[in-house]
Amino acid sequence: MAMTSKTGVAGAQFGRLLQNPSSGALALVAVLAVAMSMAFPAFPTGTNAGNIANQMVFVVLLALGMTVVLITGGIDLSVGSVMGLSAGIGAYTITTGVPLFLGLLAAVAAGGFLGFINGLLITRLGLPDFIATLAMLGVARGVLFLWTNGVPLTGYMLPEYYIISGLEQPFGFLTVPMLLAIAAVLAVGLLLKATGFGRHAYGIGSNPQAALLSGVPVNRIKVTAYVISGLTAGVAGMLMAGRTMTVAPTMGIGFELSAIAAAVIGGAALTGGRGTAFGALTGALVLSITANAINISGVSSAWQQVVIGAVLLLAVVFDRVSSLLRERSARLRIKPVHV
Amino acid sequence: MNIREKFGRAAAVDGLPIALALIVVIAYFSIASPFFMTGENIRNLLMQSIFTILLAAGMTFVLISGGIDLSVGSATGLSAAVTLLVLMNGGTLAAGIAAGVATGAAIGAINGFFIAVLGINAFIVTLASLSIGAGALQVLTSEVQLTGVDSPGFAALTKASILGIPAGLWVTLAIVAILEWILLATPLGRGFFAMGTNRQAAFLAGTNVRRLELGVYLISGTVAGTAGVLLASHLNSVQPGLGQGYEFTAIAAAVLGGIALFGGRGSVWRSVVGALFLATLSQGLQLTGVDPLWFNIVTGTSIVAAVALDRGVQHFVIGRLTSPPKQGTRSGPPPEGPATGAESDEEASVPVSTLSAARNV
Repeated sequence: MAMTSKTGVAGAQFGRLLQNPSSGALALVAVLAVAMSMAFPAFPTGTNAGNIANQMVFVVLLALGMTVVLITGGIDLSVGSVMGLSAGIGAYTITTGVPLFLGLLAAVAAGGFLGFINGLLITRLGLPDFIATLAMLGVARGVLFLWTNGVPLTGYMLPEYYIISGLEQPFGFLTVPMLLAIAAVLAVGLLLKATGFGRHAYGIGSNPQAALLSGVPVNRIKVTAYVISGLTAGVAGMLMAGRTMTVAPTMGIGFELSAIAAAVIGGAALTGGRGTAFGALTGALVLSITANAINISGVSSAWQQVVIGAVLLLAVVFDRVSSLLRERSARLRIKPVHV
Repeated sequence: MNIREKFGRAAAVDGLPIALALIVVIAYFSIASPFFMTGENIRNLLMQSIFTILLAAGMTFVLISGGIDLSVGSATGLSAAVTLLVLMNGGTLAAGIAAGVATGAAIGAINGFFIAVLGINAFIVTLASLSIGAGALQVLTSEVQLTGVDSPGFAALTKASILGIPAGLWVTLAIVAILEWILLATPLGRGFFAMGTNRQAAFLAGTNVRRLELGVYLISGTVAGTAGVLLASHLNSVQPGLGQGYEFTAIAAAVLGGIALFGGRGSVWRSVVGALFLATLSQGLQLTGVDPLWFNIVTGTSIVAAVALDRGVQHFVIGRLTSPPKQGTRSGPPPEGPATGAESDEEASVPVSTLSAARNV
């Protein structure tokens, strides 16, 4: 993408930076971090950075799955409920006395299975993504409530679970959830950039008709995207069950909104065809730093939702401006052909 | 005409399936519980459902025009809070009502500005305003206790009985009638349908699409504001989290009424029937001693069933309209042709365009 602008290299580079979807999020992170560091000495400390990182792993995981779904042009509203139900299934499995890893596996597998059902409802029954996952949001939450009778699940905290969920930190700063989140970012990044699945996913999101006509297995790719989203929700649920040491039937409520917000702030578009794993990470970082800044600055936590909504709006306005810039520079590039 | 065809024709009448479903659940619960068909219970049921009915009616406009409004729940909650705040600080009844409705209208106008003028995705904009509205309600309720007012006039807004029917119901009925009239009998309503069916075509035909879109969110916001005022009158107290999740019930009601999420189809009364269906189901399940925890599951499943049925019926209608499909007439790209669409395995993305084509026939 050579951009030979006569206004100068610096201008072109700045323009290109503005056009990069996740640069807005990164700029926001930088501004917030600098401002907070100057205003509150408690912000730029190792402990606080650890807090932020530990808090954000759930949203990072969910946003990764959401990004994959958004790229294919879908949306997954069920991740919060799937997260809760997976956590419940994992916790219950452990209390039956099986080895810990089987319980954790059960949680992740439950997430993947629910994602698979989403995918089937959408591709086989032809339900709109929004409706199918909205129904799953209700059904999965309902099943968790009905099954637990509204009583939180407890008594599954084996000693190793403390390490896996990051409550104990044997490796100093890094915790297992952080490592898992990093691994997930790398894995999804590779999946999107270096595999046929990734190319097909972007293709379906950009132009479903064209993808179908050029022989892309649209249904299989879509189902896979929802399975990935379910799997990440399962992992997030498994980690959160360990972190909170009890699975309340309300676990994960509202997390779908954070996941969508993080993915969109990171540059994924609801129209499909856009989004990156790194973007999901930066989007989650924006949300976590914002929440942390509100805590540290002593502002009532009631403001948190207002600020997060405003940040989301800011991010999409920025994205809109940058996409207008993209269109303009595309027109500028085409111009000489006509002359 | 065989049974299958008869069924298909009946089911293809818009709104008939959900109306039948409503009759079936009412009949079932009347038999299953002796308390269901009592005047008191019916009145309770209707009073509890007016908020969903109003929001679903407003949502109808948004869905018909091809958009979505996730912010109606928090707009309702915030409007209720503002109304009580004004009344508790000595505002007159009219001022309180106006403030509540205006709050909803303002949220709708802001949504409309970002969506119609700046061209940002409706889902994201209204998701952001959902968050901002719910947060603002939390901030407001953490500052002041909105425990209610001693205002007979305000309470009468929903509770006064006119001809044996609570005033809240009359108000709702009037708003629903006005909205249906706007949708079906005015150029504005036709514009909404045109925009939802084919935005590009509506624009090319000279419709001011941006102004219409702004109008849609303004209507939805204003209706949510009105629902908020009624909710404040009904409860006479506002807690943080009020209105949370109402947007999903409203969308579910509209979808159950057979309103397409892709725009171009729908009417207010069908959303109202959808809302009544959900309310009856919820009330009936409680009366018959079913664990209320079932409600989520039943709602979710019925949405899936409704949309799947609607899709099946549309397939049938298209099959009827386009038969005999012996020779491909090449009226469009191959996957859009009804014959290939019905046989192809990869049909998930096809029906949208086919349906909108069939709807216009």
